[in-house]
Amino acid sequence: MKLEVKELTKTFGSKLAVDRISFSMNEPGVFGLIGTNGAGKTTTIRMILGIMSSDSGSAEWDGVRIQRGTLSFGYMPEERGLYMKNKVIDQLVYFGMLRGMTNVKAMLSAVELMERLGISEYANMNAEKLSKGNQQKVQLAATLIHDPKLIFLDEPFSGLDPVNAEVLRDLINSLVEDGKYIVLSSHQMSTVEEYCRDILILHNGSTVLKGSLDEIKRGFGATNLVIRTRREDTDRFASVIDGGEDRPELIEKRAYEYEYRIKGEEDAFRVLRKMTENGIYPVKFEIKEPSLREIFVKSVEDHGAGAERA
Amino acid sequence: MKQIIIVMSYTFRDGCRKKAFKVSTVIMLILMLVLCALPRIISFFDGADSTSENASDVSPDTSDTSDTEKTDRFYYVDEGRLIPGGAEALAEAFPEADVITGGTADISGYEAEIKSDGSVSAVIISEDESTLPHIEFVTKSFMSGIDTDTAAKVLTDTYMSGILQSAGVDSSVIEIAKAELEYTSRFAGDMNVSGYIMGILMTVLTFFAVYYYGYGVAMSVATEKTSRVMETLVVSAKPSNILIGKCLGMGLLGLAQFAGILVSGVVFYNLLVPEGFTLMGMSLSFDAFTPVSALLLCLYFLLGYALYSVMNAVCGASVSKIEDLNSAMMPVMMIALLSFYVGYFAAISGAASSAFMKAATLIPFCSPFVLPFRLLNETVPAHEIIISLVLLAGTIAAVTAVSIRIYSASVLRYGKRLRLRDSLRNKTGRS
Repeated sequence: MKLEVKELTKTFGSKLAVDRISFSMNEPGVFGLIGTNGAGKTTTIRMILGIMSSDSGSAEWDGVRIQRGTLSFGYMPEERGLYMKNKVIDQLVYFGMLRGMTNVKAMLSAVELMERLGISEYANMNAEKLSKGNQQKVQLAATLIHDPKLIFLDEPFSGLDPVNAEVLRDLINSLVEDGKYIVLSSHQMSTVEEYCRDILILHNGSTVLKGSLDEIKRGFGATNLVIRTRREDTDRFASVIDGGEDRPELIEKRAYEYEYRIKGEEDAFRVLRKMTENGIYPVKFEIKEPSLREIFVKSVEDHGAGAERA
Repeated sequence: MKQIIIVMSYTFRDGCRKKAFKVSTVIMLILMLVLCALPRIISFFDGADSTSENASDVSPDTSDTSDTEKTDRFYYVDEGRLIPGGAEALAEAFPEADVITGGTADISGYEAEIKSDGSVSAVIISEDESTLPHIEFVTKSFMSGIDTDTAAKVLTDTYMSGILQSAGVDSSVIEIAKAELEYTSRFAGDMNVSGYIMGILMTVLTFFAVYYYGYGVAMSVATEKTSRVMETLVVSAKPSNILIGKCLGMGLLGLAQFAGILVSGVVFYNLLVPEGFTLMGMSLSFDAFTPVSALLLCLYFLLGYALYSVMNAVCGASVSKIEDLNSAMMPVMMIALLSFYVGYFAAISGAASSAFMKAATLIPFCSPFVLPFRLLNETVPAHEIIISLVLLAGTIAAVTAVSIRIYSASVLRYGKRLRLRDSLRNKTGRS
């Protein structure tokens, strides 16, 4: 099975909301759709799902154009929406039946999902009485009730506390193990980095970067150096490193840890030599790839600068 | 089709659970009960009055007018003795009043007193051009003083008795001549009081359904949109199915409520309305409710509701905030209100078969308010009903098609309200 999105474009009046977006998923897993607010992520998803028509381009599943009725997909929108005055179990069954399930099957599936998400005790409560985190779990249950093959999760982790985020992580992992295709839209880079093999970065409706996350990172090179020192050496370390003319660029300073941007491994070894010459020995010394957050920020900045030049 | 039924069933069950539905049903049942019990309540008070009247008839000693406390004062001026015994007759008819005989010279003094005291009145008898007595009542205002109708009748009876007595007519014959005759009315045509009342009632009920349940549809759609349930809903079902299912669900809810009220109305009527009860001298009859007319009434009720509910659903879909719903519904409600008044005024003017009403029958927005009255009050030609139904059904189909388009374009649009032109032009997902 394969999800293939080809040249999707959408304009609202004179505003180009999505500009010729293309990507594909050839095997089960999680695909990351990343972008700032208003980048066009939700519009892209809506066009793929067929609830908004595109000006041009297409979205195909196994070579067949995707339509609401022909593909079993699940969609958890960014804005959570439930019938607040209705019982949780009733609305889950309702959504299941709308997706073609019988009353009994929808009921069984709802019960199983609620158990899996730890919200069984709220089955007969009105949604308004649930906490935001639990409402989000109900929303997720509504998305998965009909066991869809293709799942779109728009900002699934926003508003979840660490415990509930862990429950959702486990669920996403098990969905991937079950062979589901998941498109995850988010601007939380750590989440995307954790799950996604392939990503697409959107900015103002245009594709800024796309491909395998590993390849993208390799393309950026080993550009980050993380150093942790002993507590008593912290102040001396800062003055030693900051002293020279060839000091590396500081990206972030944490409690006992510093992260620098370097041009290559030579820069890292020069810093290490300087430290040892001054009798400072690192507790941690790591040369690593840039984080997705950095790649994202840099790509967006470069794209913005390119657009301005154009 | 399956999705329409699922949405309809969920909307129906959801509506049944709502407090507003339960409260409105109970209120309408109570109203129906009170309406049916009204004849008995009225006859109970009538009975009490007549009992006291009868008591006074059989024991005249206890009704000595001299014992009654005098709260009013009537000045009686009849210098020409045009109505002999008039003052005495008034005193007998109004035991609470002190009737004082006066002269023309005192009239200005009486008027000054009447101006400051509402319980004082003057009755002035003069001769008019035809030499018959003319009665003039002077009271402080139109709502105070002597009961002019009763007083005029008493004086007229007294005058006529005097004339007849002087002509040598026997007093028993005079009493018979004075008696008021009871009457009933019967109409050779179709229009009768039952049909008239039921026709107006059906017009009002249809408007109520259009307004109340139409508002329910709009509110339901707006709530789904503003609470963002719509996002989940539109990926599960086609917007057209949601729209139609929702309208049908609310329609079914309204029909169930009305059916319940009608059934209870029939039960209350049979239990509470006395046999042989008449209204304005006419007995109530439900002959106009034939199976065909009942079927057509249901059909017009449903089609009228359907026409307005799809437009209301679009109003609900066009707003991003619930507070904006009333202003969004204003144009639809104006059309409904105007159409209702066309039907209502045509009905109360009694012009069941007028050209105006015939024209209104063919206007799809008006026909659901006009036809119920006509069906219950005249034999509407079959061709008029058929043309009216075809036009109404065609309009519903056209309005639904446009509504689905606007609804599909609007449900996922937030922020500034979508203009009608943009909604129609906007390309959205497969509806």
